[in-house]
Amino acid sequence: MNQAITLKGTSQVAIRVQTNKSGKIKVRKLDKSRMWTRVLIYSLIAITVYAFVTMNFGTMTLEVALPTFFANLQRIFLQPRLSHRVEWAALIDQLTITLGLAVLGTLIGAVVSFFFALLAARNLSHPKVSQTVRAIMSFIRAIPAILWVLIFALAMGLGSEAAVVGIVFQGIAFLTKAYSETIEEIDHGVIEALKASGATWWQIVFQAVLPSCLTALISWSFLRLETNFGHAVAVGAAAGAGGIGFQLMLSGNMQMDMHEVGVIVYLLLGVSVVFELVSMKLREKLLVKS
Amino acid sequence: MLQLQQVSKTYDNGKTALQDISFKVSKGDFVSIIGPSGAGKSTLLRTINQMIPVSDGQILFHEDDVTRANRKKLRTVRRRMGMIFQHYNLVTRMTAVENVLHGRLGYKSTISGVMGRYTEEEKKKAFELLGQVGLEEFVYTRCDQLSGGQKQRVGIARALMQEPELILCDEPIASLDPKSSKVVMDYLKSIAKDMGITCLVNLHQVDVAMDYSDRIIGVSGGKVLFDGPPSELTPEILSEIYKSEDLLV
Repeated sequence: MNQAITLKGTSQVAIRVQTNKSGKIKVRKLDKSRMWTRVLIYSLIAITVYAFVTMNFGTMTLEVALPTFFANLQRIFLQPRLSHRVEWAALIDQLTITLGLAVLGTLIGAVVSFFFALLAARNLSHPKVSQTVRAIMSFIRAIPAILWVLIFALAMGLGSEAAVVGIVFQGIAFLTKAYSETIEEIDHGVIEALKASGATWWQIVFQAVLPSCLTALISWSFLRLETNFGHAVAVGAAAGAGGIGFQLMLSGNMQMDMHEVGVIVYLLLGVSVVFELVSMKLREKLLVKS
Repeated sequence: MLQLQQVSKTYDNGKTALQDISFKVSKGDFVSIIGPSGAGKSTLLRTINQMIPVSDGQILFHEDDVTRANRKKLRTVRRRMGMIFQHYNLVTRMTAVENVLHGRLGYKSTISGVMGRYTEEEKKKAFELLGQVGLEEFVYTRCDQLSGGQKQRVGIARALMQEPELILCDEPIASLDPKSSKVVMDYLKSIAKDMGITCLVNLHQVDVAMDYSDRIIGVSGGKVLFDGPPSELTPEILSEIYKSEDLLV
């Protein structure tokens, strides 16, 4: 396998080349990390295949389940309409509650994250402080926002307070990472220049760091707003925070009215499209300026 | 005015950047520091305003030893030393005049610096300085729209805004074309001559150093190999200073 052949370069220096079993020249060496990656991928494939083969499907039969599934899809996407139980005005009202949750969660999160990001950014902070903040944030990030909401609900009771705190909490962990990496990318020379002129740390932050990366920070915040909107829908149902998510659960899980679910899904889709349009416009504008 | 006494610097990785460097500079001097890449020129310049702390030795600025200065003292020392960089180091998304005003931050309280509040006199001074370096048309232009030479002139105005007694220039023309280089060097020369501000300039271009300097310090391997007027810089000394580069070629 490792049969080496020797090539002669023009400079008369021998170059040793490794070949594989079939005698073809190798351009990569199989090192330890590459080997472990391979082992990992093969074992994951094996586990997946094993799980599919031995899976217990319960009483579900494919012949019944598939048609039902497609019938439901048809009701949701092709025949959306409201029943007498829900009015348009109430639905829009609930949508604004969810939007409010998302916007509030993002705004509070963005402001707090900025200060944490200053502590986490390696070019502004002490290495030990930076490492500590990073470690804590990655721990918080590892646990889904919905779970955080439920954890806070234990202390604060189910409701929108727990939802906001939970969403903010995980949002901070995400934005701190995004912001601090943005801050680390700015030109080190600018910080050096102001430091050399006797500027204090806070002056450097607000006169050099913030102006240099403001557009990127806004862009990240907007991405988080989209994510937070998704969370706000989910926690509406899961944590009883109210809003459109709660209505979605009522219509889908309690009343099994797929037509109504369809209306709500299209409403959420509309909001996402609006978000996307606004963020696209924003990015365009910021890009042109910079 | 400025005096280095046996300054040495060894980095944490054990690399010695400066060894036993001593020299004196007086008011209004235009001094060039030449030497091959990696000779320690940048480190030398940055020890003077303590951007890089020294391992050994003293640096006296007037009567103060900057190597022992505490944070507060260091701030008052730094604001009397302007600094000019190869890559200009401006906040590119701010206007030229905003960047010039940054030269005042060292004099301001943290809060008014954070808010960017400047007095009318400071603003007037900033506009005047931009006029002096020939940028009156560009005062409200964002710095990312300026050319390299224009950016460096904003950098000079920012340094002058500090009302410094000493300006440290780290390769000020290394990224500029010959014409802009001449403009920048002429400004620096007139700063030293007409305003009596000492200029300490790191340079790669020996011919430029010869043309402009009152005095040249040749550094190689972290040591001073030559210290004297340009007229005494012989080709033999030059090849001694740059000999490590000959080896590379």
